[in-house]
Amino acid sequence: MMERRVSGMVFVLPFIGLYCFLLILPFVMGLWISFHRADLFGSRHWVGLDNYVRLFADPVFYQAMGTTFTLAVLIVPALTLITLLLALALNRASRSAAIFRGLFFSSSVLSVTIVTLIWRFVLTPDSGLIAKLLTAMGIEPLPFLSDPNLTVPALAITTIWWGLGLPMMLFLAGLQQIPQDMYEAASLDGANRWTTFFRITLPSLRRTTILVIMLQTAAQLQIFGQAQLLTQGGPSGSSRPIVLYIYEVAFGRWELGYAIAAAEVLLLLILALMLAQYWLSTRGEEVQR
Amino acid sequence: MKIKLLLATLGAILLSGCQSDDERPTLVVQRFFGECGAVYGKSIDVGKAETECGIVTTMLNRFAAENPDINVKVNIVAWPGYAQLSAQIAAGDPPDLVTMHQSVISDYQARSLLEPLDEMLADAGITTEMLTPAGQRGTIKDGRLYALPWDTIGRLWHINTALMAEAGLMRNGKPLLPRNPEELIDHARKFKAATGKPYLVQAQVAAPDYLVANLYTYLLAQNAVVFPDARHIRLNTPEARKIVGLYRTLNEEKLTTVAQDFPSATANFVNGGGGIFPTGTWMIGPYEEAARSGTSALKGYAVAPFPQLWGQSAAFVDGHGWVVPKDDRSSAERKAIVRFLSFLARYNSDWTRTGHLPAFNAVLSSSSFTQQPHRRDIATMAATGQQLPGFVQRQSAIQGLIGEELEAAVSGVKPIDRALADAERRVNELLSQI
Repeated sequence: MMERRVSGMVFVLPFIGLYCFLLILPFVMGLWISFHRADLFGSRHWVGLDNYVRLFADPVFYQAMGTTFTLAVLIVPALTLITLLLALALNRASRSAAIFRGLFFSSSVLSVTIVTLIWRFVLTPDSGLIAKLLTAMGIEPLPFLSDPNLTVPALAITTIWWGLGLPMMLFLAGLQQIPQDMYEAASLDGANRWTTFFRITLPSLRRTTILVIMLQTAAQLQIFGQAQLLTQGGPSGSSRPIVLYIYEVAFGRWELGYAIAAAEVLLLLILALMLAQYWLSTRGEEVQR
Repeated sequence: MKIKLLLATLGAILLSGCQSDDERPTLVVQRFFGECGAVYGKSIDVGKAETECGIVTTMLNRFAAENPDINVKVNIVAWPGYAQLSAQIAAGDPPDLVTMHQSVISDYQARSLLEPLDEMLADAGITTEMLTPAGQRGTIKDGRLYALPWDTIGRLWHINTALMAEAGLMRNGKPLLPRNPEELIDHARKFKAATGKPYLVQAQVAAPDYLVANLYTYLLAQNAVVFPDARHIRLNTPEARKIVGLYRTLNEEKLTTVAQDFPSATANFVNGGGGIFPTGTWMIGPYEEAARSGTSALKGYAVAPFPQLWGQSAAFVDGHGWVVPKDDRSSAERKAIVRFLSFLARYNSDWTRTGHLPAFNAVLSSSSFTQQPHRRDIATMAATGQQLPGFVQRQSAIQGLIGEELEAAVSGVKPIDRALADAERRVNELLSQI
């Protein structure tokens, strides 16, 4: 028994070693730097908790956190629902379904630069595609990239379009795992399509849905490229997510300690949110067991 | 035995691959200004190159061709590339020569990350007296030269004279420019009534530095002390409130474009979308060409420094320079740098085709510069152009912070007083952490 445990340890040791070296060690080093006034070039001056005190008194930090959570709330449910519907529609072995699966997945292979370039052409207030369509219809164009009330939805739309691929594939994989005989039994029992969907399909996709929601929540709380390239966080910081704020503080203002303090807070928030989601979503299963 | 011999041969081949057979000194040049290898990748005729990217690419090609004993490597970075440069310096692998805005030099110089260039420039035959006053102000820190100044860049009023004529704002073939804020609003209203178009074309989306340049210019015009010392900014002042109030009125009355980013505003002006586009010196060339082509909606074009609305004539300027990050370098590598600096100085005249003002007095007074379109109208900026005091660090980040608050003030999201107070607080907090 002991021998098996040791051999098991030997197998996982390389991964644990790399994990500690690449993730745990930088995290601890980052935590240490966050107690310093530090710049990018090695300057360190101990300030204790000062960076955290400043952070929790910084209105721009709260604005960025608010924007980040708003984006997550706009993106995650919509993305989950849209990709579930797409997966349901395309879960068939026809040529057209295969083409559409490829089509909807294609946006995911684009880099963030290309995605924002495409959406800039669409959203640019005076000369974008939407502006031209609205102008042609005699309607005043919407300033998607300059109105503080529209920039966050614009970022959400861009991100949803970009992120359709992976969750759709996860749902498709989940759908293909559901045994066909369950549907046959339901059919014999005279269940209609809605009953089949709500009693068989949706419960069977429970784990996939949890996975999609957790992955997307973690990803959207770290949204960066779209905001940096499409709006630069503006106007007046209204579309600046927290990671863009961290980037600006670290590389624009050279306040590394302060930026890392913000990053540590973000990490703890994501961790807490993931654990809470996991706990909430698995609580029912524990009761059933 | 055969296997051993085979392994030894294989090892020797592999090891020989690790060793460089190029013993020339290597010069790593890192620059922004974009990538245009498809057009200028092999060009070496500097006199025929156009645009910032075309001229700098051709110059680097020419330097490599003229100096085969130097191994020239060029890194092209996305504008402005300072995050990358900081990472390179932090990793102990900085390039040898880097393009840098003069407003950014203080950040690196204050941390002793740049080589003072007095000696190398002297070796290249370049003395301080040869440089324009604006070039000197931008590159001399604590009494030493930390860059070869390469140009002076500033904001100008690019004017659609055809539309101005339609609005009755031309006199003797020259645009009639306002002499005070009230007159500006009056002209703008007249212009809009006559043409149906906004008087000003402005980039107010995703361009936080745009409004800051206006604010700095008119604060300098009023002799306002914006930075009393290295740790403080003074922004919530009557002078600043007047300036921001003017731009807010323009927005409120839609006398300016409000929802355009920089590319849209640039295109909008050439498409005849408004009367005046206050933007950089670098747009003179493209707009002059568009106006001359006859096919563009820009039917007449003139350019002028910012009008004197308050106090005296002033211009807030910046400039590009070439800096040398600190590193251990051999004597041969230092000589290669000197040759490169000397080469750059030789071609400063060609660089002025971009619209930027030269960094050398001799070029400023030369016919090759003055005979280019509109250059006489703006040449004074090389002497009068002012930068922020040399002790002000993080100027780019400061512009971002102020720009953000100005956006809020001009668009009406925040009262002007509060926006300026917030900008002051945020900048002071940043400066206190340096």
